[in-house]
Amino acid sequence: MTKIDDRRRQIVKVGGASALGLGLAGCLGGGDGNEETTAADDADGNGETTESGGVTDVGMVYATGGLGDNSFNDMAHQGVQDAADEYDVEFTNAEPGSPSEVANLQQRFAQSTDPDYDLIPCIGFVQQDSLSQNAANFPDQNFMVVDTTVDADNVANYVFKEQEGSFQAGHMAGLLTQMDFSAGAGETTDDAVVGFVGGKETPLIKKFEAGYRAGVAHADGDVEVRTAYAGSWSDSAQGQEIALSMYDKGADFVYHAAGGTGNGVFKAAQEAGRFAIGVDADQSKSLAKYDDVILASMVKRVDEAVYRSIENVVNGEFEGGSTETLGLEQDGVSVVYGNNIGSEVPEDVRSALEESETAIVEGDIEVPTDPSDL
Amino acid sequence: MSGDDSTIGRALGGLVDASAIERILISLAALGLSVVVGAVVVLISGWVLSPCPSAPFATLGGLGEFCYNPIEVYWVLLKGAFGSTFNLATTLQETTLLLFTGLSVAVAFRAGMFNIGTQGQLVLGALGTGLSVLWVAPVVPAGLVGGVVLVAVGLLVGAAVGGFWGAIPGALKAYADANEVITTIMLNFVATGIAFTLVSEVFKDPGSQTVQTRFVPEYAQLPALVLGIDGFSMLALVGGLALAGLVYWVLRGTSFGYDLRTSGVQPDAAEYGGVDAKKTMVSSMALSGALGGVGGAVYVLMVAGQWQSGIPSLGFDGITVSILAGNNPIGVVPAALLFGALKGGSLVIEFDLAVPQQLVGVLRGLVILFVAMPEFFRMAGIRYGYGDDEPAVATDGGTPREGGADDGGDSE
Repeated sequence: MTKIDDRRRQIVKVGGASALGLGLAGCLGGGDGNEETTAADDADGNGETTESGGVTDVGMVYATGGLGDNSFNDMAHQGVQDAADEYDVEFTNAEPGSPSEVANLQQRFAQSTDPDYDLIPCIGFVQQDSLSQNAANFPDQNFMVVDTTVDADNVANYVFKEQEGSFQAGHMAGLLTQMDFSAGAGETTDDAVVGFVGGKETPLIKKFEAGYRAGVAHADGDVEVRTAYAGSWSDSAQGQEIALSMYDKGADFVYHAAGGTGNGVFKAAQEAGRFAIGVDADQSKSLAKYDDVILASMVKRVDEAVYRSIENVVNGEFEGGSTETLGLEQDGVSVVYGNNIGSEVPEDVRSALEESETAIVEGDIEVPTDPSDL
Repeated sequence: MSGDDSTIGRALGGLVDASAIERILISLAALGLSVVVGAVVVLISGWVLSPCPSAPFATLGGLGEFCYNPIEVYWVLLKGAFGSTFNLATTLQETTLLLFTGLSVAVAFRAGMFNIGTQGQLVLGALGTGLSVLWVAPVVPAGLVGGVVLVAVGLLVGAAVGGFWGAIPGALKAYADANEVITTIMLNFVATGIAFTLVSEVFKDPGSQTVQTRFVPEYAQLPALVLGIDGFSMLALVGGLALAGLVYWVLRGTSFGYDLRTSGVQPDAAEYGGVDAKKTMVSSMALSGALGGVGGAVYVLMVAGQWQSGIPSLGFDGITVSILAGNNPIGVVPAALLFGALKGGSLVIEFDLAVPQQLVGVLRGLVILFVAMPEFFRMAGIRYGYGDDEPAVATDGGTPREGGADDGGDSE
């Protein structure tokens, strides 16, 4: 109950979490023995700046889908773990249950003095409004935000060109659905149909849809694209139902941008014996039990964004007010082939994807960000 | 079934006949017991986990290590709920919102209907509030006067929209014999879908990634009086408390309330006594919906400052709050406070301790389960006619019975 005790427990949580990669299940893992740094940290009064050699404290506020989505939030979590492996970084996770809790959690971190957080990464566009307020209310606190921009001197912004990676995913699906292709537990049908499942119908997810559909059309304008939105980031049963109905209608590939809801898409793919395309993380690895149907994933390097922002703070180079846009060119987004069955993707498809990637990077292909611009 | 001499019958009868004081004592005892059981659960979870990732809380020779300190867990829970101004504001914010939804569910319950639709009524009420305030704002002067007008407009529209949405299942039950449990559940989905689509297609804040309306003007938001923490206004809490008293009075002291309660206890008898059962169904559901709508209005004017998708499940929590309170409007107050405290406290446990979130959820659930169970069995006992020696009122207008469902629920 003493200060020191609180402190120790916090570190334990962090150590456990990084060992497991499962967020707040931190209690189950092994500690990574940061006890000495704690003492040092407490001794120097938990110095505000990292130059004094203290620990860099990071307070993570995740998006409402929560940890364990094997996708967006877990990627962000990966980023902070990597930073903790590399540098003297300690972090605490906070998962809002609903959008209205986001402001509260940001404030808790921002006003905390034990520890005094050096950086508060805010994951997801849901944080935007709360952060605009809190950034103004806590001008000395450094924040970073992913997927949206907040115009303030103490916020570093990281946004992605999701449409570009999604274009690649659509291009691949559009090419393969017209072929006789089988790999792992999936095979294509005679119908040239592909599907897209979104979480909530927000402008961000529409970027995924727009890019995906443009990519499919780039492969062949005759391929039919079915799209649906589940209305949730964490309803895997709903995702499964939607995907199953798409597979029933002849869809060979379903691409999802739906966080935890997407897990249902993979389940449906196994059930129907077709393919799915993962999102945000390489889901053939993060959800290995579905690696026989996940042909590829559109990886969005949220981990990289989080890692870089922490690295900047550790090095005393925090760039408040800046916006980094990460697209295909910066390797911020990319299609990675599945861990298990990705190697089956034929060479001509691979080279077609490489061509379209070059065309996008060089500006020859303009990828739309809104489905109505198609 | 009255006068059942079995052990169960006697136990249920005892619960049904318990006085208000006895019921409060039972609730407190249940709360204490849930803490004891929860502490054991914490101990055992820590023991199962061993070897502990950090220094264990205690080591017993031959038994192994215990990783979590249950006293510390509950201490942090308490501190997290009431320990600082900020924590207190978080707790009271949740309490205030649950007051409205709890009252909403309680009113419907007293009228003999299970309103699971408070969530939908709240979501649409919130939308009505957000939009009406945004519409009216340009024509009223900024500042205090404008703020008062806008808050009044917002609350009225929220209540009207919620009331309308609540009246639908009431009318469906009255005139089409549709079970309100089914219709209210389904109308929740309809409400959420309507609100989301309307906002994302028509009323969306163009500058935002999230599906939400623009912010209502600063002066139309309830001021953070007394505690000075954004997101909680003492005005709303006092209003909620006053509303609880008002609802209590309406149920107890007006002829409408009498009609409503008798319809709930014994619909046929009520009708025989001259109550228009169909009208009562519709109006009581409208009242219930209006209370849910006011909850939505307060959510917009105090917490969010706008309508946004992903409104928390206050309406569903309101069901638990109402059951905890034995569907008594006054009882809703401590029940909402308990819920608010559990919410605020468990947030802090997540921040401060290595105890996993899921275990905190178990502790919360235990408290709710233990406190709700006596009330639940009491309601079941009333329904099946345990307790008292008098037989239940028959539809032929037999001697009215004292105690039981009618006065028991109000006498706290």
